[in-house]
Amino acid sequence: MTQNSASKLLNRDASQDKKTCGNGFVKSHCLFQQKRYRRPAEKNHHASCTSLLYNKLFVESFEETPLLVAVLTYMGYGILTIFGYLRDFLRDWKFEKCHLAREREEQKDFVPLYQDFENFYTRNLYMRIRDNWNRPICSVPGAKMDLVERVTPDYNWTFEHTGKVLKDVINMGSYNYLGFAENSGTCADAAAHSTVKYGVGVSSTRQEIGNLDKHEELEKLVARFLGVESSMVFGMGFATNSMNIPALTGKGCLILSDELNHASLVLGARLSGSTIRVFKHNNMQSLEKMLRDAIVHGQPRTHRPWKKILIVVEGIYSMEGSIVRLPEVIALKKKYKAYLYLDEAHSIGALGTRGRGVVDYFGLDPSDVDIMMGTFTKSFGAAGGYIGGKKELIDYLRLHSHSAVYATSMSPPITQQIITSMKCIMGKDGTTLGQERLRQLSENTTYFRRRLHEMGFIIYGNNDSPVVPLMLYMPAKIGAFGREMLKRNIGTVVVGFPATPIIESRARFCVSAAHTREMLDTALNAISEVGDLLQLKYSRKYRGEESSCFSYLESHQD
Amino acid sequence: MNVGTAHSEVNPNTRVMNSRGIWLSYVLGIGLLHIILLSIPFVSVPVVWTLTNLIHNMCMYIFLHTVKGTPFETPDQGKARLLTHWEQMDYGVQFTASRKFLTITPIILYFLTSFYTKYDRVHFVINTISLLTVLIPKLPQFHGVRLFGINKY
Repeated sequence: MTQNSASKLLNRDASQDKKTCGNGFVKSHCLFQQKRYRRPAEKNHHASCTSLLYNKLFVESFEETPLLVAVLTYMGYGILTIFGYLRDFLRDWKFEKCHLAREREEQKDFVPLYQDFENFYTRNLYMRIRDNWNRPICSVPGAKMDLVERVTPDYNWTFEHTGKVLKDVINMGSYNYLGFAENSGTCADAAAHSTVKYGVGVSSTRQEIGNLDKHEELEKLVARFLGVESSMVFGMGFATNSMNIPALTGKGCLILSDELNHASLVLGARLSGSTIRVFKHNNMQSLEKMLRDAIVHGQPRTHRPWKKILIVVEGIYSMEGSIVRLPEVIALKKKYKAYLYLDEAHSIGALGTRGRGVVDYFGLDPSDVDIMMGTFTKSFGAAGGYIGGKKELIDYLRLHSHSAVYATSMSPPITQQIITSMKCIMGKDGTTLGQERLRQLSENTTYFRRRLHEMGFIIYGNNDSPVVPLMLYMPAKIGAFGREMLKRNIGTVVVGFPATPIIESRARFCVSAAHTREMLDTALNAISEVGDLLQLKYSRKYRGEESSCFSYLESHQD
Repeated sequence: MNVGTAHSEVNPNTRVMNSRGIWLSYVLGIGLLHIILLSIPFVSVPVVWTLTNLIHNMCMYIFLHTVKGTPFETPDQGKARLLTHWEQMDYGVQFTASRKFLTITPIILYFLTSFYTKYDRVHFVINTISLLTVLIPKLPQFHGVRLFGINKY
């Protein structure tokens, strides 16, 4: 099992510590050495070298931005900035109507209420392509959804509903990994039944009188699902992180959090008052160096030892599509005696042969992870979050978590939806529906990623992650891609700066088990068409045909 | 807090000058400016070089040392609102690679300009004053310094 291989690695390394080479050079004691030579063309594209810890190939690729594309992207942002300044000037001199909040004339001499420059980006860039976000959906967000059609008479400053509904738009943006976002079937019937029995609202917090027997049943089920001793559920996924990390760490503790951690983890870490140090995304050498520095030097001024060191990582990072290197993190945590907080918001139900998340995907022991957190929003079609771990930990959280004391507990129909869908995934409802969906999801993921790769797009992330970011790079293409896809009846999510680094704007697809092969093919054909139209096929690897510029040269040589 | 963002970077402005391809874009931008000025028919080559130097230094002064804050809202509660882009770069850490690059480029442009103006006295005075306006704010001693209260708020 991987536990033995991890301990083998640690023991082997311990004996290596004592040796010094003949010329007095002491080998570094680090578990994971920095590699001397990195191929400059790609970062992180390698099957893991510490193959003792991994039971399968770990292939992640983040192809680097082509230089020409980067230069054109900066040019695009430069032109937008110049036009932004021009438009601001016109608005200031009243040549153009100003749609924004302005101070009253009488208050012009006061200290300014609005910071003009901080809204520059919103006014001049975001407003131009605002119709790609906040689109109202008027059906269940399953594999296909209905969108309300909007038109804008004044370039996205205001929207009007035409009254028409765009039907059956293929949904490539919802976190619907196992397809449980549906309004018919066993889950929906069970949820409706429990609404009839319990009502919809709970009207209290967990500690007062909002602790339903359904919550207890769900917590036992979640604990069995994850393979941990005990678990606790909360009404909101974001609040699970932001309300529980302060209960676990405090002043004098150290939180080592990944660069690309979600806002809820960042907020929870800040609220706790611990020292936060950020290590490079999924980079085990960076994490190890930080752990060593922390243990050797202790707290900043006093050099006292840290009370606790908590490593906070996510299972799947939703913007990059990368999977955490969990075996290496666990090996490090055991060596340096730190605690591990694993946020499986996107990976629970979506990874692993039995759907138990990233721990199942790597074949590790759940008791190695101290705190397993996850959300029910993504794969279970409900809302809320959970934390699983040892019984003492969960009992402590029941008393000390802000969410338990102050926040309303989970609503009964949602609780029932999670119970039914979790039983379905585990196979406890007597059907093989769960297994089929898991298999369908992993097939869809592999197919979708392979086809996009063959078409020549730059895709980030691990080959097994159902989150597929497709790189767009240029600011104009963000808006163009979203609109063109909607014209072809496909709903996508696009993200730009400052949510991503300045040149790495992307479109993010979420593959679902509810997508049939035909839907994926339709989507892929549309993506390919839009990719040709907008020239998005930047990839230099695995091209299906010859690159077009070479064939141009060849055809003109004779 | 970084709601809606995909990273825990508090101020993305600090990383812009380290991004891939921006140094190249900057050099290409200077080249483009120079070619545009060269294509004006009635100006001589020394005047074009002096103009390139002046316009480059003026733009650099405006964008790096005059404009303050960020064009987007940051979750750092306004720590960067009174800082120019130069002061925000790399969170104020001095002598990083980008800072060195942006210090050396005006100096190289100055050398080229001095050569192509044949070290004429008038051009020399103008170019040197222009270089000083762009080099002095980059000194570490001038981090956060506002002379005579200019550009303070």
